[in-house]
Amino acid sequence: MNAIAQTDFVRVLSTIDTRLARHCLLLTKTVNEQATRDHDAELLQRIGAMDRSAFAEFYDKYSAFLFSIASRILNDASEAEDVLQETFLQIWAKAGDFNPKLGKASSWAAILVRNKAIDRIRSSQRRLRLAQEAGVEYAAGTVVEETANGAVHGHERARLIQTALVELPPEQRRAIELAFYSGLTQNEISEQLKEPLGTVKARIRRGMLKLRDQLEGLL
Amino acid sequence: MIDERMEEQASLHVLGLLTGTEQLEFTRALQSDPELQALVARLSTATGALAGAVPLVEPPPQLRAKMLAQVTPPQKTVSLPEPKFRVARWLPWAFATSLAVVCAGLFLQDSQLRKTVGDQARQIGTLNQLALSLEASTNSLRQAVLALQETNRMANLRIAMLNSLAADAPNSVAVTLWDNKRQDGIFVAQNLKTLPTDRDYELWVIDENQKPVAAGVFQVAANGSVRMEFKPAQLIKTAGVFAVTEEIKGGVASPTVKNMVLASSATR
Repeated sequence: MNAIAQTDFVRVLSTIDTRLARHCLLLTKTVNEQATRDHDAELLQRIGAMDRSAFAEFYDKYSAFLFSIASRILNDASEAEDVLQETFLQIWAKAGDFNPKLGKASSWAAILVRNKAIDRIRSSQRRLRLAQEAGVEYAAGTVVEETANGAVHGHERARLIQTALVELPPEQRRAIELAFYSGLTQNEISEQLKEPLGTVKARIRRGMLKLRDQLEGLL
Repeated sequence: MIDERMEEQASLHVLGLLTGTEQLEFTRALQSDPELQALVARLSTATGALAGAVPLVEPPPQLRAKMLAQVTPPQKTVSLPEPKFRVARWLPWAFATSLAVVCAGLFLQDSQLRKTVGDQARQIGTLNQLALSLEASTNSLRQAVLALQETNRMANLRIAMLNSLAADAPNSVAVTLWDNKRQDGIFVAQNLKTLPTDRDYELWVIDENQKPVAAGVFQVAANGSVRMEFKPAQLIKTAGVFAVTEEIKGGVASPTVKNMVLASSATR
C-alpha cells in the first residue's frame, strides 16, 4: 500500500471511529475537563505569586507537551531545550498575565513555546527550509501514533484530535500548518503556496473554524 | 455578531499572523467584545490541539532540576513601603519646620509688641501725670493771673471820699471807686436829703485840667442813701475830683457850683 492509499484508508477508519468516540466523549464529558481547566488556571495563579511547588507541578504536566512542540518547530533537540527553558522562565514571570477567558492554560503555553521557537528560527534564517520540511511531512497527512497531545489529554482524546486534523481539507491544513509551525508571514505563506493572499487568509479562516467545530467537545 | 472579516482576524491572531497595526486594532477590539473573546478562546484551544499534534518528545530529565533552580522566589524582606515621591517624604518635615519658624517669629513679634505696648502704657501714664501736673500748674497760674489781674485792677482803682458841702445836710457823705482803665465806677452815698420830684442829684467827674464831665443823675432813698454804677459820657484821662450837685430834673450839661452838695477833697 502506497502512502496516499494508506492515508485514505486511515482517514476512513478514523472517521467512523471518531464519530462514535466523539459521541461517547460528549456523553461522558466532563466534569473532569472543567476541573482540569480550573486547576490549571489556579496553578498559573499560584505561579504568578511565585509558588515553586505550583511551578514544579505545571512543569511536570506540560514540559513534554511543550518540548515536543519546540522540537517539532526547531527540529533540533538542543535548541528545543533552550526554548523550553526560556518558555518556562517566561511562564514563571508572566503567569499573572494568563486570562482564562481567552483560552486554556495548555493552549496559552503552547502558543508561548511556539512563539519562542519561531523567534529563534527567524533569527537563524531557517524558516523557508523548515517550512518546506514541514510541508513535505504534513502534506503526506502523517498519523502520529504517540503525540504531545497524548501527554496532556490522554491517548484516546489525542487520537481523536489527530483524526480531526486529518479531516481538514489538505489546502486548509497546509496553510494553517505553515502559519503555525514555520513562522512564515501572510505574504510568505502566499508565496510558498503560490496562492493569492486573500485565498490564503480565507483558507486559514475556514480551516480554523472547522477545526474549532471538530474539536468542540473534545477539549 | 462577528462577521467574516473579524473571524479571519481572530484566526490569524491565534496563529500569530497579524501585522503590528492589525494586532493593535484587534487587541483593542478584543478587550471590549466578550463574543470575540469567546471565539478567540475556542480558536486558541484548537490551536493548542494543533500544536500538540506532533510526535511526543520527552525533555531531558535533568532539565527539571535546572528549571526549578532558576525560579527561586525573591527573598522576603520586611521593609517600610517606599513613598512614591521622595518629595512627599520630606513634605511633612518641611511643613513642620516652616510652622516652627513661623511660630518662633510670631512669638518674638508678640514679645516685642507686648514690650512696646507696656512701654507706651507707661509713657501714657507718665504723660497723664504730667498732664495732671500741668493742669494743676495751669490752674495755679490761672489763679495767679486772676490774682494779678485783681491786684492790677485794684491798682487801677481810684477811691475818693466826698464830704458834705451843704449846710442843711452836714452829715451826708459819699465814696466813689473809679477804674480809670475801664472808665467806670461805683458811687455810694448816705444821709443826703431827699429832693423834690422836679429835682435830681448829678454826679460829676472832673478831669485834671479839663471841664467837669457828667457821670449820671440819681435820687436818694427815703433814708438818704444811694448806690449806683456810673460811666462818664466822655473820656477821662485822670480823675482828679468827684462832686455831686443838685440840678433840675434830668441833669444839666455844666454843674451849678452854688448847688454843690458833695465833693472829694482828694483822690488816690
